[in-house]
Amino acid sequence: MASGITEKALKLVQSLPRLSLSNIKNLPHSIKKTKRRRRDRQHGKTHGRGHKGQGQRATLPRLGFEGNNTPFYLQIPKEPYYKDHELRKEYVPVSLLQIQRFVDLGRLNVKEPIDLSSLCNTRLIQVKWEQKQFGVDLLDEGADIFCARLNIEVQKASELTIAAIEKNGGVITTRYYDPHSLHAVVNPAKFFAKGVPIPRCKLPPQNEIAYYSDAKNRGYLADPEKILHARVELAQKYGYALFEYENEEEKEMLLTRKDPRQIFLGLAPGWVVNLKDKVILKPKDPEFVNYYKS
Amino acid sequence: MFRLPRTLIIAGTKRIFSNNHTKTFKQLALGYKSQYNVDNIYTKSNTDFLSDLSKHITKFSSANNEEFSGYIPTDQLTISYSRSSGPGGQHVNKVNTKVEIRFHVESAEWIPQWVRDKLVQKEQNNINKEGFLIITSDRSRKQMLNQADCLDKLRTMIFNSCQKPYEPTEEEIRIKNKRIAKAQREILRKKREHSLKKQNRSSPSFGDS
Repeated sequence: MASGITEKALKLVQSLPRLSLSNIKNLPHSIKKTKRRRRDRQHGKTHGRGHKGQGQRATLPRLGFEGNNTPFYLQIPKEPYYKDHELRKEYVPVSLLQIQRFVDLGRLNVKEPIDLSSLCNTRLIQVKWEQKQFGVDLLDEGADIFCARLNIEVQKASELTIAAIEKNGGVITTRYYDPHSLHAVVNPAKFFAKGVPIPRCKLPPQNEIAYYSDAKNRGYLADPEKILHARVELAQKYGYALFEYENEEEKEMLLTRKDPRQIFLGLAPGWVVNLKDKVILKPKDPEFVNYYKS
Repeated sequence: MFRLPRTLIIAGTKRIFSNNHTKTFKQLALGYKSQYNVDNIYTKSNTDFLSDLSKHITKFSSANNEEFSGYIPTDQLTISYSRSSGPGGQHVNKVNTKVEIRFHVESAEWIPQWVRDKLVQKEQNNINKEGFLIITSDRSRKQMLNQADCLDKLRTMIFNSCQKPYEPTEEEIRIKNKRIAKAQREILRKKREHSLKKQNRSSPSFGDS
């Protein structure tokens, strides 16, 4: 089929005359007629305005006016049930109590950074992108009994939650995943089985970018220096001393964060992970390499 | 409260990759960096956000002009927890949500001396015989929030004691004196006017009649 089209195209190129000014045409509607003055015999006398009345005298009322009764566009009431429905986001609630329980029961490994993938791998938390869920909201229930030191990455966290985690020497980062990336993050094994390259995570939309650029929310796009100050401020507010790290390895682990474009730690966007043969395929074409790095 | 099936507890977590990492976390961090990486956006910022910034100001000199920095060292305070009062069933009966903070005011070197004196005066009602300032809070259901409330109260107390009496500037003194002088001049002028009015009512006298 495809070859038939190319053959036809080649035949046309052979048979048609050479291009010149005489046999090319503008694209339709690319040149519009300029509005000319209505001075000729056809458009004279009333100049397209009819006879007498408001129409000729330029005193017509506004569009939608119906002679001072309530016009149609005001009669019908507004029922904005679906206003901004496309911008509404849901976050699966996960409490600090649950996280502590997971850690105590060995479902989460505190020695490694914990992100949405780790939480979903426990199979006790499900995040469904089809239901407009964008990730996990870490709640402060259990803040008083929380005693795990971990590096956790969630989508939303309140001030008390952040304080509870930092009090115990941990690190919390809030991070955005767009729905396509979320689909990969939530079930990595299923995603790798598709044989599709790891997507490049998109930046948060306009109404969320302020949240993730704020150091108070420990956003992943925030200035690290501001986070430094925010940590001290929060420690002063809630009355705890900032943790002093003795173990360098542990400190390194707590400082690791993913790149804003990266969805799996240790894997870059553009790579294809083959779990069966235990092989990773990386793109070599500079166009792809530059795309995935930008 | 959910019940965990026994099989899941024994099996442990299912991992995608093995626990033996070939790279350290530091190496992983250096691996992939896009243009939106925090290092590339904030080039001058220090990426180590875990260091403790708070320079402990625990000692003030006896000078009268020292300002309280606002920093409260939590290791200098004695924080204790107990059960709160009021309704709340099992939760209020069992959980230590009430927070009490106490410290000896006179020997608190993280507050300037003159502020300490004022604090003793102002907060007499909250200081016991031994000289300990006691602040409690059982406002909320959470211990951490109550602790924050206690510290907030303490901070407010100290800042209220730091307030110095208002000293007018040279300009203000000048303006005030100017206004006083004007008022005095006005009084005298009115007096003279009134006197003239009274004099004009009487018949003129031409010396010895």
